[in-house]
Amino acid sequence: MADRTDQRRDSIVLIVNDVTHEFGIGDHRYQVAACDTLAKTLRETLGLSGTKVGCNQGACGSCTVLLDGIPILSCMTLTVECDGKQITTIEGLQNKETGKLDEIQQAFIDHSAFQCGFCTPGIIMASRALLNKNPSPTETDIKDALSGHFCRCISHYQVVEALQTITEKKKK
Amino acid sequence: MKITKDYRFIGKATPRKDAAEIVTGKATYIEDVELPRMLHGKVLRSPYPHGLIKKIDTSRAENSRGVRAVLTYKNVPEWKTGTPRHVRVLDKKVKFVGDAVALVAAETEEMAMDALAHIEVEYEQLPAVYDVEQAIKSDAPQLYDEFPGNLMPLDVPVFGPRTLSSIVLGDVEKGFGASDFIAEGTGSYENIANPLPLEPPGVIAEWSGPNSLTVWSATQSASWHRFIMLSKMGFPDIRTISTQCGGSFGSKNYSAQPMFYAAALAKSTDRPVKVCFSKEEHFGAFVLRLGSRFRGKVGIKKDGTVMAVQGEWLVDTGAFSDMAQAQIAVGLGELQLMLKCANWDINTKLVCTNRNASGVVRGFGGQELESALIPILMQTLEQGNIDPVEFFKKNYVKPGQGYYWRDGNHWVSKSKDYTEAFERGAQTFGWAEKWKGWLKPSAVNNSKRVGVGVGVHGNADVGEDVSEAYVRLNPDATVTIHACVAESGMGQRSSLCKMVAETLKLPLERVNITPPDSLINPFDFGLVGSRGTYAVGSAVISAAEDAKEKLFKMAEDVLEAAPDDLDSEDGMVFVKGSPDKGVPWRSVIGLMHTCTGFGRFEPDYSVPNFIAMFVEVEVDVETGKLDLLRVVTATDVGQIIDPPSLAGQLHGSIGSAGIDTAIFEESVLDGNSGHMLNLNMMDYKWRSFAELPRFDNTILETPIQTHRYKAIGVGEVSTSPGPSAVFMAASNAVGKRLEGYPLTPDKILEALGKINL
Amino acid sequence: MKAFKHITANSVEEAIALIRTHNGKACLIAGGTDLLGVLKDEILPDYPAAVINIKTIPELDHIKKNNDGLKIGPLTKLADVVAHPLIKKRFSCLSQAAAAVATPEIRNMATLGGNLCQDTRCWYYRYPQHVGGRIMCHRKGKGPCQAVKGDNRYHAIMGAKVCFAVCPSDTAIALSALDAELEITGSQGVRNVSLNEFFTTLGNILKPDELLTNIQIPYPPKGAKQAFLKFTLRKPVDFAIASVASVITMQDGICKAARIVLGAVAPTPVRATDAEASIIGKAADGVVIEEAAEAAMAGAKPMRMNAYKVEITKTLIKRALLSIFQ
Repeated sequence: MADRTDQRRDSIVLIVNDVTHEFGIGDHRYQVAACDTLAKTLRETLGLSGTKVGCNQGACGSCTVLLDGIPILSCMTLTVECDGKQITTIEGLQNKETGKLDEIQQAFIDHSAFQCGFCTPGIIMASRALLNKNPSPTETDIKDALSGHFCRCISHYQVVEALQTITEKKKK
Repeated sequence: MKITKDYRFIGKATPRKDAAEIVTGKATYIEDVELPRMLHGKVLRSPYPHGLIKKIDTSRAENSRGVRAVLTYKNVPEWKTGTPRHVRVLDKKVKFVGDAVALVAAETEEMAMDALAHIEVEYEQLPAVYDVEQAIKSDAPQLYDEFPGNLMPLDVPVFGPRTLSSIVLGDVEKGFGASDFIAEGTGSYENIANPLPLEPPGVIAEWSGPNSLTVWSATQSASWHRFIMLSKMGFPDIRTISTQCGGSFGSKNYSAQPMFYAAALAKSTDRPVKVCFSKEEHFGAFVLRLGSRFRGKVGIKKDGTVMAVQGEWLVDTGAFSDMAQAQIAVGLGELQLMLKCANWDINTKLVCTNRNASGVVRGFGGQELESALIPILMQTLEQGNIDPVEFFKKNYVKPGQGYYWRDGNHWVSKSKDYTEAFERGAQTFGWAEKWKGWLKPSAVNNSKRVGVGVGVHGNADVGEDVSEAYVRLNPDATVTIHACVAESGMGQRSSLCKMVAETLKLPLERVNITPPDSLINPFDFGLVGSRGTYAVGSAVISAAEDAKEKLFKMAEDVLEAAPDDLDSEDGMVFVKGSPDKGVPWRSVIGLMHTCTGFGRFEPDYSVPNFIAMFVEVEVDVETGKLDLLRVVTATDVGQIIDPPSLAGQLHGSIGSAGIDTAIFEESVLDGNSGHMLNLNMMDYKWRSFAELPRFDNTILETPIQTHRYKAIGVGEVSTSPGPSAVFMAASNAVGKRLEGYPLTPDKILEALGKINL
Repeated sequence: MKAFKHITANSVEEAIALIRTHNGKACLIAGGTDLLGVLKDEILPDYPAAVINIKTIPELDHIKKNNDGLKIGPLTKLADVVAHPLIKKRFSCLSQAAAAVATPEIRNMATLGGNLCQDTRCWYYRYPQHVGGRIMCHRKGKGPCQAVKGDNRYHAIMGAKVCFAVCPSDTAIALSALDAELEITGSQGVRNVSLNEFFTTLGNILKPDELLTNIQIPYPPKGAKQAFLKFTLRKPVDFAIASVASVITMQDGICKAARIVLGAVAPTPVRATDAEASIIGKAADGVVIEEAAEAAMAGAKPMRMNAYKVEITKTLIKRALLSIFQ
């Protein structure tokens, strides 16, 4: 049986959607193994299955979450290397008190900016990071920011339209 | 053109019913489903393209941590899938690199993976064959004893005894004799592209008794895993439930392999077992497009009349066939919709080879046949200097014209004349200005050559097969639709709610649809062949009408009026003209009752749909790079049900192994070892946000009289005209006849004489 | 992913000590975007017992100006390389090369050092263990290079003998054109090598107990102009089919100095010295550019399926030079 520990520590802390979780490092249920990806921890250990794993090779963008505000691929990130980090997933975008959806989530509903929906959480997370950094992106900015996101149904046009509506509303 | 009346919901953009779940991450896909006591199944796969298992030792794997079952060909159930039945759960013979050799069920995925490494297998390697014409030679390696020459039978039992497998009509020799222009050659569309939904296939199976199986799966048509699999598994009672499906494009209609694996492992462990393929397995051991090669001859007259089409269609299905025969039948039918011709002689061979199998993919035979044949047809148009728009317009099936469909029967189109849609599309695109003649670019900017092309396609499966539905009126003025309809991205579950809400004049939020579960719903064939709007829609609408009729019958005494004089809106029943004197449904139905109507749609192959696609491409003649600049689709749907859903289906033509199979999409098979080399999403090419073409849809709404809301679907067909249209555009851009798909830089530079391959 | 032990290193010395303790059974992880793919697919017969995290070494993540030019820590994220104003201004070809890597999310994770040290993308080499078993080859120490008889559309067109996989790094091409020097630290001390000395047919010169600790880029000569061009089938995601970086110094319309480096054409980045020689001392015109491109590709020996790469590389060279000369 191979070793699944981290030699330097026996636990880590993740702050996921503003909730702090402490995990032992190891092989038991509710622990995090050294080889666990962040996507696996989020989905299987924390039950946050809104983060989707499409290719599991870092090429499709569907597992995108925010790590200290920056969009990263959770399938290519080891959980043990996220100690002390703030992680935001699709489940963390809604206003916790009011239940109000994030403006991007609402715009995606209004524009039916999805078909099968499997890529949608990743695209919304990358869009959130984009708008946080640049509240009025151009069409090219939007397309570049989402260029690592695979959508096989081709909802791209409706996604771009939804995001543009948000930025146009703000301009007014 | 808008002739239809204004509706409350139909034709208006309304949010998808599942929108909130999707955007919040709550939508439940197969990987998200966890059942108590559930095990995880993994598959050991063959390193060889063709071989016999001489020895297999599973003892170490069986003793591996957390392992609950290890299955090999020696101890799997005697189930067989495929057409005809020829694919076992596991076989002693492996037929492609990645073919299943053994199955493991364990407490966790990691444990199952660890155990796979402990299975020891000795193989006797056999020679393999990958090329369709090599495979039918007399000395070729044989994949199956029952298919000598690697030739598979062409019958499709559910299509009836006369399944279409050839088109032999009139007299082709006479036709060629009367032709002004004749072209002959071989066209090949063999990139065996992957429809590649983002979510890989997955199934969970659980036996609740020796003969009672429940299957959860990511599928686009929930019922297939019951009605197709029943006979293949010895008639257990199968309940199938579809989870939210992360894309399908045909491919996940049917997940026979994962289903077999999960069901076999579940049977031997008596626990639920989940088998979700990895992306690599999705590439290497799940559905590809058919390989298509057409060798033949086309003759036309100066005025664009098609005089004769003759040839042999060689169809490569890979290691086995689930639905290749059905795709051949439909493809041959679709070719006749596109080309009006009196003299035909097309014969088909279906061939198995040592690669991952082809399966169901959007385009379903027609895309494959047309993409191979049109490059030959193009040469006749080139000889005659005939504008392809005029040609296709003239030859697309018109009302009153006939064709032989998949069942081998002759059908006459009762659909509409699509000429206007075609013309409007050409106008939107600016075809008249851009078309400069064959092999002539429409613009030249330094090393960049711009070219235009066009393709058409249609399908009479809009009315295929059977749909049944119940519509239940509840006393609280809500409505439940019982129909076995999955959600894999089309939004059809929401659109059906719209049709029922419209019919019953109820707010949309009061109408819901049951989960796609075969136990609680009547039969529905599924969302295939663009049948959702016309076939499923007609079934739910007639169930709603039936329920309404019953409601009015019940209200007869309450309102002291004849049912014919009654109407209902927003949950009130009233005498027509007196909406203010109505009574609520609950007073009519009663609190402890419901009022249920039934509807059924019976097959009708007389309403072909239509799509034309105009494309503009740019080729850099110094690098050979082909870029897609613009796409215009043209169609006539009778009545739009949900604008964004329709737009999504049409935009989808650049996904799911559609247009881009002419540009960069292909599965790369190593011709020496049989390995699929690009089974990852870096090496398998797909279109990103950064390179979207300008895209316009020209959608006409000429009512189709046989649907309550005058609508027919076009979702399935949108990918099909794309590849040949791009092929045409690229040829025109560079001024050379090109060859093969996809038109990657090597092919273009070779055609330009810049390199020798 | 198969199990391994994870160890966090807090200094370069510690990282080296940890590698030595594990006797070749450990590997380093920085951004992880390449390594985790290698481990998930189990493409190599040896699987590490331990993965040593070096992201936690503070002194390796920096971009600093010094007298000689710019010093970039190998743990600098590609996104930070792209966004850095001085790099954009004075080392534009590096900025462009980093921006051309993969996707935005990967650039947020992947490091410059990792981009240099990543393993090749040869599809035989990368074939996953779980779809019938990994494919062995010369690079893995057993058997011939599979690309020789196989599908070699993306493989080397020059400079390869035993392994025809190409160097996948975009930033290496730019750094070579910029004449960068790499600092390598190991148990035997520190050594400095030029970018081109770093790469070998089967990867790089790093010994098992060494790691990349700094990237020093001299300021390009005054008036030097730069270009980076990458040819792919698609803009994002893809690795290069061919790429060119060039740094050219012009004076009074005459080329004084030139560095032209080709990517994805050979197992290592290739300096097109013949092409450089052919333009130095000459005024820039169409003929000179044409000759340079021909000179660069004179030694090309394409394989069965990749002659197109020769044409494309020529075109990229011409376009790079044209953009500089204009």
